[in-house]
Amino acid sequence: MLLRIDPSSAEPLFEQIGGQVRALVARGELPVGTRLPSARDLAESLDVNLHTVLRAYQELRADGVIELRRGRGAVVASAPDHGPLHEAISALVATTRRLDIPPATAVALLKEALR
Amino acid sequence: MRTPVPHRVATTLITLVAPLVILGVAALVAVSWSDQLPDPVAVHWGTDGPDGFGSLASAIVPMLVVGALLAIGSWALAFLAGHASSTRRIAAGSSLGMSALLAVILLGSLDAQRGLTDATQAPGITTTLLVAIVAGLALGALAAVVTPGDGDQPATQPIAADAPRLTLGSTERAAWRRSAFSRTTLVVGIAAVLVVLVLTVVTRVWPLGLLALALAVLLLTMVAFDVSVDERGLVARSLLGWPTLSVPLDEVVEAGVATVHPVKDFGGWGYRLGRGGRTGIVLRGGDALEVRRTGDRVAVITVDDAATGAALLNTLADRARARR
Repeated sequence: MLLRIDPSSAEPLFEQIGGQVRALVARGELPVGTRLPSARDLAESLDVNLHTVLRAYQELRADGVIELRRGRGAVVASAPDHGPLHEAISALVATTRRLDIPPATAVALLKEALR
Repeated sequence: MRTPVPHRVATTLITLVAPLVILGVAALVAVSWSDQLPDPVAVHWGTDGPDGFGSLASAIVPMLVVGALLAIGSWALAFLAGHASSTRRIAAGSSLGMSALLAVILLGSLDAQRGLTDATQAPGITTTLLVAIVAGLALGALAAVVTPGDGDQPATQPIAADAPRLTLGSTERAAWRRSAFSRTTLVVGIAAVLVVLVLTVVTRVWPLGLLALALAVLLLTMVAFDVSVDERGLVARSLLGWPTLSVPLDEVVEAGVATVHPVKDFGGWGYRLGRGGRTGIVLRGGDALEVRRTGDRVAVITVDDAATGAALLNTLADRARARR
């Protein structure tokens, strides 16, 4: 898996890390049972604070994306089939482009609707 | 321009001279015992004691020839293709370890026959085998440890312009991770451990149990690796934490994807030396991350999605060089 973070971005680092893991899991690139690097290891790897990674992992666990197991570290948890969601997202993207709506507006509307 | 192989004097001393001295001294000691030994002496043992007999020379000469050939072969490999310290360490370890093993087997089996008039009375060699295996492993490990390492060899050239890259913003950081696991090693390794365990019980040659244990540990060190590419460069770490293969960013000449045939290119699976002095972590056939590094060294790791890892390694190495 490739993780990238941008410290100059307005989005907090823990959300950047968590968001990418979410996306990788949702797309099936990280199958159920995949072991994620330990928080300490990943923090060194990305040159960020250990607590940043721990916070990202905690939120992923709270949302059921990963399980934190003693001794084995973070493991991708089983998740429901995302197939229908991907279809809906594709439709959403297509509609947004057709109506020429700015991506930021579409994301804002989506965030509001999910709240 | 080819970089000369480093530490040739040390390599020659540890991998050629020391093993030949051990073998030579063992042969001289054996000859000095000739008055006290039965003629013929026991040279081969079955499960019920000695079952093969021959002259003293027939006990010494094969040991000398096998040991010397192994030492010369290992030395030639390290002397000619030992650009990477792993190559030199493996050659030194096998050479000195095997010479110690052979010397202990020769002297131990003969020592037990001193004062006998009839070699059929020779005792078993279980203890000798045990001591020989321990001595071989200990001296092999010692040789590998005292073999000088590579030292830092920072690159002076930029990464080739046509090498694969990843688009990375100037403020972005990236890390690539992948776990690699070898089904072949696991299956073959478990089979080997079981065969040796069954042999141990059937033959009641208990030192063989030690071999089973050694094989099991070897299996654990070779079966799975975590591979990462980040600011620390490329690191491939075994399940047990050892062995580890690492290439710092400033020693990367160029990373790319290569196709590996385990048997043809590396003679098998595991942490291996391959053709042309390549160091390989070979867990399966197919695509592998291949890193050419300074000092004419090449590291190969069979891992999925190697293209992404190679591109990121080149990109991060570019950056590290621009910072200097």
